[in-house]
Amino acid sequence: MTISINFDDSWNHEMMKRMEDDGPWANWELYKLALEVEQHTIIPEFEGLQAPKHLSDLTPLPHQLEVAKKVIEDMNGKAILADEVGLGKTIEAGLILKEYMIRGLVKKVLILVPASLVTQWAMELNTKFFIPAAIQRKSYVWEQADIVVSSIDTAKRDPHKDIIYNQNYDLVIIDEAHKLKNNKTKNYEFVQNLKKKFCLLLTATPIQNRISEIFNLVSLLKPGHLGNEASFYEKYKKDARSINDDEHLKELVNKVMIRNRRQDTGIEWTKRVVEAVTIEFSQEEKELYDSILHLKDMDAGDEGRSPFSMITLQREACSSREAVYYTLQNMLKKTEQPTEKLIQNVQFLMKKVEAVQSNSKANKTLELIKKINDKVIIFTEYRATQLYLQWFLKQHGITSVPFRGGFKRGKKDWMRDLFKNHAQVLIATEAGGEGINLQFCHHIINFDLPWNPMRLEQRIGRIHRLGQEKNVMIYNFAIKDTVEDHILKLLYEKIHLFEKVVGDLDDILTKLDFGKIDDHMLDIFSHSRTEGEMKIKMDNLTSMIEFAQSLKEEKEHEASGNTSIS
Amino acid sequence: MKQAEIHQFLERFFTATSCEILENKQGYLIVQLTIDLDKELMNRPFYWHYLEKTGGTPNPAKLTLITNPAIAPKDIKGELIHFGSPRLHQLFACAKKLSGYIRLYENRQGKAQEHTALKPWININMKISYQCDRKRDVFRSIGLQLINGQIVDDFQTKLEKLPLTAKIPDFAFTLSPLIMPKSGITRIENTIKQTLLAEDYTWAEEAKQRWAKDLRLLEHFYEDMEDYSESLETERLALQEQYEPKINISIINGGFFYLTSEAI
Repeated sequence: MTISINFDDSWNHEMMKRMEDDGPWANWELYKLALEVEQHTIIPEFEGLQAPKHLSDLTPLPHQLEVAKKVIEDMNGKAILADEVGLGKTIEAGLILKEYMIRGLVKKVLILVPASLVTQWAMELNTKFFIPAAIQRKSYVWEQADIVVSSIDTAKRDPHKDIIYNQNYDLVIIDEAHKLKNNKTKNYEFVQNLKKKFCLLLTATPIQNRISEIFNLVSLLKPGHLGNEASFYEKYKKDARSINDDEHLKELVNKVMIRNRRQDTGIEWTKRVVEAVTIEFSQEEKELYDSILHLKDMDAGDEGRSPFSMITLQREACSSREAVYYTLQNMLKKTEQPTEKLIQNVQFLMKKVEAVQSNSKANKTLELIKKINDKVIIFTEYRATQLYLQWFLKQHGITSVPFRGGFKRGKKDWMRDLFKNHAQVLIATEAGGEGINLQFCHHIINFDLPWNPMRLEQRIGRIHRLGQEKNVMIYNFAIKDTVEDHILKLLYEKIHLFEKVVGDLDDILTKLDFGKIDDHMLDIFSHSRTEGEMKIKMDNLTSMIEFAQSLKEEKEHEASGNTSIS
Repeated sequence: MKQAEIHQFLERFFTATSCEILENKQGYLIVQLTIDLDKELMNRPFYWHYLEKTGGTPNPAKLTLITNPAIAPKDIKGELIHFGSPRLHQLFACAKKLSGYIRLYENRQGKAQEHTALKPWININMKISYQCDRKRDVFRSIGLQLINGQIVDDFQTKLEKLPLTAKIPDFAFTLSPLIMPKSGITRIENTIKQTLLAEDYTWAEEAKQRWAKDLRLLEHFYEDMEDYSESLETERLALQEQYEPKINISIINGGFFYLTSEAI
C-alpha cells in the first residue's frame, strides 16, 4: 500500500548553514537533555494512555481508564460521558485532559460546571492531576489562565461572554450537560459559539432517546455532521422516541457517547439498606390533613384552588405545619381578589395549623438521630420544613447545617465543611441535593418523598458513590394512610426502587413512552374521585413500569451484548 | 515523569543553560534567568527591544517553580510545574531548540610524536511518528561515517559512553570527509525510508477501514439532501485529517562527531 512519508528537511538546511558559519554549536548536556525529554514524550504504542504513569497519587479504576482511552483513541476527543452518578466522571475528564496536555495537544481549557462544584473541580485537578486549574473570580482570568473552571451562569453573562468568545479553546468540558439538550436556550447558544477543538459533555442522565436531543448534543460536538436540522428531522421524526430502530443513529450514538453502569464496572459497591418508617399523625395533624382533603372534595373545580395546590397542601401537611402555613400565606398574597370563600377556607385551615402542637415526623427523626449517633442527612422538599427542623433539632441539642441549591458556591463549600467537621446533621432541600458529594456520611432520612424517582436517585447518589466505604442506610418516612403512604408503596414495594442500583430505573422509564412520572402522580392524586379509583390508577402505573422492566430484562437476556446505549 | 524527576530536569536544564539557581529546596526552586533565556521563555520582545534602543540596564526575570506544592513552603508564590504543564512544554521545546546542532570531538589525547586521527561522523536523532486517528512514535538514532559510509543504529547510546569535548584535543587531527555531509544526510533519509517501506502496514489498513466506515455514516446523513455540498465537504476533510494514515519523520537534533577508529 502507498502511504506518504514526510521527512522534515528544515533541519537539513540549518545544518548546512551552521557548517558554513562554523557554529553556533549546542552543549552536550543540553543535547542529551533534549533527547531524554523526547523519550519521555514519545507515544510508544498506538493504544494506551501516557497520563497514568505520570500520576503517582492517583489510581484510576479500570472503567475510568477505559473511557479515557476510548475518547482519545476512538472518539477524537469529542464525546458525551454519560456514566451513572457516582462512577467518577470527574476523574475520567481529568485523565483525558491530562493525556492531551502531555501529548501537547491541549493548552487552553474551559471547564464549565455547576456553581457548587467549581471549587471541587479545581481542587481535584490541582491535587490529583497536577493541573493548575484556576477558579474564575475576576474577568481577566479568562485570558490570563490557561485552564479555567467556572459556572456556566457566570460565563454566559457580560462582560465575560465576549472575552470568552475571543478565546480559542483546545478543550471545553461541560459538566451536567443534560441542561444543553434544548437548542433554544441561552446555555446552548453559548456553548455552540465557543471556539473549541475537543469537547467533553458530562451527564449522569442518559440521552433520553429523543431524536432532537441526539441532534442537539451531536451538533455541539460535531457541527454539521448531521446535515441540517430541517432535513434531519424530515428523515427522523422529531419526536420519535426510539433511536434503536435505526442502525445509523445507533452507530452514531455509539461513536459519541459512553455510558458505564454500576454493574458494568466490576466494582463491589456497598449495599443500600432501606427501611420504611411509617408514622402515625397526632390527632391535630390528622385533622389538618383531613380538612384539606375535605376542602378538595367540596371545592373541586373552584377557581383559585387548582388541584395542584390542594395536592401540594396535602403533601405539605405530611411534612410540617410550617410548610402548610407558608403555602397558605402565599395563596392569599398571590390571589389578587380573593373570594370570600377562599379567605374563609384559608382561615379555617390556619386554625387547624395553629392547633397542631408537635410534629410526629420530627419527633421520630430526633429519636432516630439519637439512635444512629452518627452523621445524618435529612432531605425535605420544603424550605419551611427545613427551617423548622433546624430549630427543632437545636432545641434538643443537635447541631445541624442547612443546604439549598440557592446558596452561592462559597457558602455551599462552607456548609459542606461545617457538616463534615462540626455538625451532626445536614438538612437539604431538593435543589440542594445536586452537585455536592457527601461520601463521609452514610445515613439518609427522606423526611418527605419526591414524586419523581429520579430525584430520589439523585439524593441517594450524593452519598452512595465511589469512595463510600460503608453500607448506605436509607430511612423513608411516610405518614400512614396519606398520599405519602401511596407513593412509598409504589416506589418501594412495587418497583423496588430503593434496592435498584442507580440508573436502572431511568433506563426503564426512558424506554416507556408515557411521559413524566410526576404528571401521572399528579393526575392520580388530583383527579381520582375515590380511594378506589386512585388505587386502580396506581396499580396501572405500577404494571406499566413493571412491564417496561420485564421488557428490558428480556432484551438484555436475548442480546447480552454490551452496547453503550440500551 | 514523576514530580521528583521534573525537579531534577529543571536543575539540569538551568545549569546547562548557565542560569543561576538562587534557591533549590524541597519542592521548589528559584532561578535567575540569563538574558538569552529570558528572551526565549518570557515572551516580552517589546521590553528587550526597548532596552536595546535606550541602552538601559537589562533585568532578566527570576522564575519561581514549584515542583511539589505539598512540601514547598506555603508562602512561596510561583508556577506549579507538572508533566503536561505549558511551562514544562516550553522548557522541553527550548531544550530542543537550543540543542539542534552540535559538533564534538572524542577526548583522547595523542602524543606529540603520534597524533590521533579522528574520523568524521554525522549523527541524526529522529522521531518517526506513525499517524492516523491514533499515533505511535519510534525514536531512532543513526550515525553515518563520512569516510566509508558505514551506518550505525542506536548511535546515541554509543556516544554517551565516550568522553567528548567541544574543542579538538591536543595532538589530534580530523580526517576530511569523503562523503559530503549533505549527501550523508540524504543517505540516512533513504535508509530510513527503505526500512519503513518494508514494515507491516496493518495499522494503516485498519485506519482506512475505520475511515471508510465513518465516511459512510456521514454520507448517510446527507443522503437526499439538496443543498449540502459545503458542510459535507468540511466534514469530509475533517475525517481525512483525523484518519488518513501517514508517517512523519521529525529531527530532534544531530551534528558532527569526530571519533577514533576504536570508538564505534
